[in-house]
Amino acid sequence: MKEVKPTVFVVDDDAAVRDSLRMLLKSVGLPVEVYESGQEFLDADRDDRPGCLVLDIRMPGMSGLELQVKLNERHSILPIIFITGHGDVPMAVEAMQAGAVDFIQKPFRDQDLLDRINQALDKDAGSRRMLAERNMIRKRLESLTPREREVLDLVVAGKANKVIAGDLNLSQRTVEIHRARVMEKMEAHSLAHLVRMVLEVERPED
Amino acid sequence: MKHTRTAKGWKPSGAARARSKGERDFRALLDAAVDAIVVIDHQGTIEEFSLGAQRVFGYAADEMIGANVHVLMPEPHRSEHDGYLARYHATRKAHIIGIGREVVARRKDGSLFPCEIAIGQVVEEEPPRFVGFIRDITRRKEAEEQLRRSEAELRLAQELANLGNYVVHVDHAEPDYYSPQLFRILDIPLGSAHISRGDYYERWVHPADQARVIEAFSHLDSLGAPLDIEYQIVLQDGRLRHLHHIAQAVQDASGRVVKHVGTIHDVTDRRHAEDEARQLQERLTHFSRLSTMGEMAAGLAHEINQPLSAIATYAQACQRFLRQPEPDVEEVRAALEQINTQALRAGEVIRRLRNFVKNREVKREAVDCSRLLDDLRTLAETDARLHNIRLRIDAEEGLPTVYADPIQLQQVVLNLVRNAIDAMADAAEDQREVVLMTRRSADSEVEVTVADHGSGLAPEATEHLFNPFFTTKAGGTGLGLAISKSIVRAHGGRLWHTPNADSGARFHFTLPVSPPTQGNDE
Repeated sequence: MKEVKPTVFVVDDDAAVRDSLRMLLKSVGLPVEVYESGQEFLDADRDDRPGCLVLDIRMPGMSGLELQVKLNERHSILPIIFITGHGDVPMAVEAMQAGAVDFIQKPFRDQDLLDRINQALDKDAGSRRMLAERNMIRKRLESLTPREREVLDLVVAGKANKVIAGDLNLSQRTVEIHRARVMEKMEAHSLAHLVRMVLEVERPED
Repeated sequence: MKHTRTAKGWKPSGAARARSKGERDFRALLDAAVDAIVVIDHQGTIEEFSLGAQRVFGYAADEMIGANVHVLMPEPHRSEHDGYLARYHATRKAHIIGIGREVVARRKDGSLFPCEIAIGQVVEEEPPRFVGFIRDITRRKEAEEQLRRSEAELRLAQELANLGNYVVHVDHAEPDYYSPQLFRILDIPLGSAHISRGDYYERWVHPADQARVIEAFSHLDSLGAPLDIEYQIVLQDGRLRHLHHIAQAVQDASGRVVKHVGTIHDVTDRRHAEDEARQLQERLTHFSRLSTMGEMAAGLAHEINQPLSAIATYAQACQRFLRQPEPDVEEVRAALEQINTQALRAGEVIRRLRNFVKNREVKREAVDCSRLLDDLRTLAETDARLHNIRLRIDAEEGLPTVYADPIQLQQVVLNLVRNAIDAMADAAEDQREVVLMTRRSADSEVEVTVADHGSGLAPEATEHLFNPFFTTKAGGTGLGLAISKSIVRAHGGRLWHTPNADSGARFHFTLPVSPPTQGNDE
């Protein structure tokens, strides 16, 4: 899997704030992209990239909160750090409830922001690893034949080979062969591992 | 005709049948008279008591014939009357006989009433007898009293209202009338002689107002147009008074103007009150500016916070760059330049804020419209940003200067922008825009329009929109539009509203373009 370097995306309508953030992030060697409105960021279609979003909560037109809603609709997992002013606590609370990782009041100490950014990047990396794993599991599941899939479902449901053979009207031997193929295709080390992988992707989402 | 009415009428002193024609005539006369007629002898004993007397005093003739006349009098005359008679007999000096006077008499029921009394002496009789004519004047007295009271009330009312009235007869057919208060207003002695028009113009009307007053009077004379004019007069001692003068012509049946009736109302105090109200309003404007300020405080904090956080971030970035083994000098230089710019930006916000809040005299000057908009931009945008609303400024190029107080105008525009923002609290995201437009609407006018896509104006709200203390907002003072309107008016402009094409409202106001001579004042 090729490693894409995480990027810090900054969305702020204030040119000076935007530019100073760009410079700060550049000074610590973090790749940074700046956008002056939520719409511009959406149009750039970068929200599936690894990284995090540093977002001004107050902006004319699309506010930071509105951008967050739009990103949630797109199932973006990009962690968001909101920049808030004085008296924006209610908005910050709303943002956190909608899934933001953090918020920081301006003016802020650079280290505070950088710490939050690093945490957000870690979180993003973790999420992406998990997503990648789920995708991998899904690919493996897709490689199963319909019959193998049937056997898998019954195995995960905790049924013994004999019962499965009865249910599917197969010989117990045939079930054993299918089951071995499933373990192989799913790259499962053990039955427990197999069950965990299936539950991981079949867990109801959203 | 029988004469048997002894109980009600007079008591015949002799046999009725024996009465001479003269006597019958006398009695008929006696009874026909409306006034009370009483005949007494020299000792005051009543001999005749007419029907009128019975009506007036409430006694029957029977009761009174032979009684002393003093029962008809209240004290002290009742006790003194016998003495009066005795004195007359002794001195023959008449105090009342043949003279008559107003006295107070007493009815049978003890009530007193005013009457006019005339007493005559029966000629060539000794001892003398007297005939008294008594007229009850209660009604007349009451009417007089009533009249006196209404006159006093009118006088008082005129005095209180500082209102004088007059009637001037065109051809002097009757004497002119001037009410006492009119003399007081003009500060001349009561009852001064006829005041001619010419005198009035010359002696009282303020020179600056003379032409106007003369013209109004000429309209009254030539067209019969009612006169209704306010002007100033100068009193002898130099004091100025503001008068509201109303007059109209009265015609006779043939349509000829016979007299002018008019009132002169001294409205000086009201004018002063208006001046005070104006000052109060200026204070209120300041107050409202402060409260607008309070509402904008959060936004301004944001506005100052922006450059401050940019400065902090630039400075921190610089430090990090400089800690690197090979610092990117170009970035550091750019950051330092930005730090400078942002510090100035913060200062500018504070300067505008201070200008805006400062209480100050109204100062008109030639104002460049585009510069005015520039100054407004920060404050208005701050407010808009705070509510996630775009502010679009659409100014026509090359607008002329207007003659105005820039701070007051900012106040008006900010107020309209704020209303527009408030109206869009629930508007959809793509609708959240306030447009601030300036156009030259006529040769001599610049029109400023603030348009929103908000909830618009309810018909019942439009009626009271400009009334002080009318508000549709939860925390509103209801003063914004009222103050804005009076500011615009004071600048010689108009403020009104129209519905916006698709949704929301537009508020417009006009400002007169400053005269060319004032264009280069600065």
